[in-house]
Amino acid sequence: MTFTYENQKERFRFIDKWAEYVRTHSDKDWSNQQNIIINSCLQNASMTKEQFFKMKGEKNYQI
Amino acid sequence: MKFTNSTIKIDRDLSDLDRFTISFIEILEKHTNYVIVSGYVAILLGRARASEDIDVIIPKIDFTTFKPLIHDLKQNEFYCMNTEEDKDIYEYLTDDLAVRFAKKDCIIPNIEMKWAKNKFDELALEKTLTVQFTENSLCISHLELQIAFKEIVLKSPKDLEDARHIQNVAKGHLDKELIKKYKENLHDFYI
Repeated sequence: MTFTYENQKERFRFIDKWAEYVRTHSDKDWSNQQNIIINSCLQNASMTKEQFFKMKGEKNYQI
Repeated sequence: MKFTNSTIKIDRDLSDLDRFTISFIEILEKHTNYVIVSGYVAILLGRARASEDIDVIIPKIDFTTFKPLIHDLKQNEFYCMNTEEDKDIYEYLTDDLAVRFAKKDCIIPNIEMKWAKNKFDELALEKTLTVQFTENSLCISHLELQIAFKEIVLKSPKDLEDARHIQNVAKGHLDKELIKKYKENLHDFYI
């Protein structure tokens, strides 16, 4: 078994477990937890326009 | 989360990403139809991840319709990250390129907006689901197409995980035969 395969298997296990949590708990409950991830990611996101387009591999922009 | 034929009711607390998306869509929908596709669909349905952009497809519109849309977006502190001039933004779209909109002085999050450019984009626009929050709603592509697209065309680990999450949370509300048919059609078209 390669590390990548094991890692993906482990990630899928988490995906299944979290989806089960979403299905069996109130929307308020799971969304509060999800919002911690989303809001902190957005608050910590710091990038220039050039860096962003480079990351996306897009060249259709003007400086 | 409650599924009906054409609506998913979610009594969730909105994230900053949801608020950003709703603020853009409230302007966009005054001017044209739209559909939200890809990663944000999975996120709306509870996937435990963030995204730096929201993918939106709109039908091809003429410049007369487009100009007031851009004006309205600018009035509400959105700007186009690709270029400033209205005609240049429009030209990107006519060249089948996506254009990105963010709030003034921000890069992330942003909306990646493109014209429907093939039969699958048209299908996403035609066959939509409404995600209904307490006070707002958003229009997303039907889930069968999103699952098939992520598994056959995009195929990155993130996309495969998105597809798996959607299938898990929407269990019992998906047409499995339709997913299979879309997978075959997408394979023939893209691969």
